[in-house]
Amino acid sequence: MFYDSFDTWWWPFVFIMLAAWLPTSMWRWAGAWLIGDIDEHSEVLVAVRCVATALVAAVAAQFIFFPTGALADFAMPVRAGAAVVGFVTYVVTKQNMIAGVLVGEAILIAAYLAA
Amino acid sequence: MTFMSPADPPTVEDNGPIYDWSWFPRGMAKILSIPALILLSAFIGFGGLAREVGLPLEQVMFMVPLVWALPSHLLLVGGIVTGLPWPFIALTVMLAAIRMMPMVMALVPEIRAPRTKPWHLFAVSNMVAITPWVHTLAVASEIPRRGRLPYFMGFAATMMLATTSVAALVHQLAATFPPVLMAALYFLTPIYFTMATWKTTRVLAEKLALGLGFALGPLFALVVPQANILVAGFLGGAIAYGVHRWQKSRAV
Repeated sequence: MFYDSFDTWWWPFVFIMLAAWLPTSMWRWAGAWLIGDIDEHSEVLVAVRCVATALVAAVAAQFIFFPTGALADFAMPVRAGAAVVGFVTYVVTKQNMIAGVLVGEAILIAAYLAA
Repeated sequence: MTFMSPADPPTVEDNGPIYDWSWFPRGMAKILSIPALILLSAFIGFGGLAREVGLPLEQVMFMVPLVWALPSHLLLVGGIVTGLPWPFIALTVMLAAIRMMPMVMALVPEIRAPRTKPWHLFAVSNMVAITPWVHTLAVASEIPRRGRLPYFMGFAATMMLATTSVAALVHQLAATFPPVLMAALYFLTPIYFTMATWKTTRVLAEKLALGLGFALGPLFALVVPQANILVAGFLGGAIAYGVHRWQKSRAV
């Protein structure tokens, strides 16, 4: 059950497959199966894209609001503020990703230097 | 005259090869793009993290292209460090990876050719992750039908190879980063995901879905901490779609 349960060369690989590969890729296979012959102009796809978009955003928010590792040492308002300002920069600069990333990262690093 | 369906007018594509593989190298070339470079930077962070927690090189090179989803990678490594049994890690990975299902469903109608077999789609679905998904959705309409799947494969396969190489290289160099740099690299993943997804939105409702998912996710963490991503995603998506229907009904 645990990463170090078995002292064999192959167990960590099986562990990776069970803990991360299957629970990720099963959704990919389910998507390929469910889509069937649905037309690309179908109204169903608008709903599907809405859910996909909201899910990606929720995952992103998870990594900003509940981070692990070095990012967790930054205060929550700093993380959230840097993310939101970076994103707004991206939108107002007509989707300039470099600008959005640099502004977000600059705020994060500025907060670190100021602390 | 041959019969022409409205969805796939060019019936000439029904003859000859299923795919136009000349689009594969054109997909590969997209490794030189801003999103690809941002993702590669995020994998510098992942290589450093894997090294720090003591994962051996071969396991890093195994998990990067096989799992092929950075949030899943991070949850896996986090779970290993915490010493969780695999069913616990699998559950959190599963909840965070549900997005793959609607992502694949949105991509397939864009990239399939008239004679694409179901098993082609199952095979290709394993390469679906944010970066190739966003990029392919954005450019699909400019590519002939038979070239879209090869284009997607060319881009995704090159990204898989490049991210694996970067993570392995960082791991081998035993580069130790100051914590602030690790934090900055780690921070890249969520902000890049949000910006990249914004690019795929076509109607106002999808932009609304993005905002709702981002706001409801942390909010529901206070109520249903284990299932907040799931609830925020489906509820946010449903509200956004409801707004879309309401807009349409008013327009008529």
